[in-house]
Amino acid sequence: MKIIAAKKILKANDQLAEENRAGFNAAGVYCVNVVGSPGAGKTTLLEALFTALKDRLRPAVIEGDIAGSIDAARIEKLGVPVVQINTQGACHLDANMIAAAAADFDLAAIDLLVIENIGNLVCTAGFDLGEHLRIVVLSTAEGDDKAAKYPAIFQGSQALFITKADLLPHLNFNAERITADFKRLAPQSEILQVAAIQGDGIPPAADWLAGKCAATLR
Amino acid sequence: MHELSICNALIEEAQNEVRRSGRTGRIRRIDLTIGRLSGVSCDSLRFAFDLLKPGTDLEDARMAIAEPKATCYCRTCNARVEIDDYVMQCPECFGGNIAIEGGRDLLLESIEIED
Repeated sequence: MKIIAAKKILKANDQLAEENRAGFNAAGVYCVNVVGSPGAGKTTLLEALFTALKDRLRPAVIEGDIAGSIDAARIEKLGVPVVQINTQGACHLDANMIAAAAADFDLAAIDLLVIENIGNLVCTAGFDLGEHLRIVVLSTAEGDDKAAKYPAIFQGSQALFITKADLLPHLNFNAERITADFKRLAPQSEILQVAAIQGDGIPPAADWLAGKCAATLR
Repeated sequence: MHELSICNALIEEAQNEVRRSGRTGRIRRIDLTIGRLSGVSCDSLRFAFDLLKPGTDLEDARMAIAEPKATCYCRTCNARVEIDDYVMQCPECFGGNIAIEGGRDLLLESIEIED
């Protein structure tokens, strides 16, 4: 006999992600999943944004890494609460890991929970973590062809941060190309350009993120 | 991408479905739908299935996979073209104003049990 299942194979993850999102909504926490290659500048971007948002939002971070706690130590230095997840080789975070990590925070004392995902443009695309917003971070040095080459991660993201914009004079990075490709994959999305170390573009990016938090939670 | 963890989820889901049905016969076959744009490699999934199924209720089961294509719809020339991979322009008129639809399913469709 045949059993008709018609079930999503990652249903367990999707259900947990929905539970995470419901928990964040109930606690008034806006959750952002930050994805991008290793070295794209995810942590540096977060450092700059948190510094700019210091007196406006109460952030916390879940750091996902294969090994070590280098990024967590950088975030901790800013006085931002942080939990490190080490995946021991796994290429992505899943909703179950986030549920466990989020339980370590006092959600009542947080407005913005940022999940810095494993540096990876492939596997992180498949797993909803329960976030409200997914940001893909791409540095100018990686090249303007990445949306065309790794479409899934760009398609599922609602915003693109182009980092290391200060390197543009030295590179053949065509911002129009990545913009056109990204808009094709994710028509409702937004694009922001920053040079996080210099601080260029950070104040408007911080305003944008604070606006997203306020609009979703109110 | 992470076919091993997807396969783990699949085996668990299939076992749950069978338990829920109250049947006890051996599982003979499972049918999946894996869209071409799902990011999952069917070869890797078959490989993972053979590695993981021993000792589970799916030990003797065969895996059959349907791989539906996606569609590229062009807002300029109105062409609707089936595609195997992501495209950045319309395959007909090479215009950029396109929408890619479907091809991302990751489904356990059915399970066949011995009578």
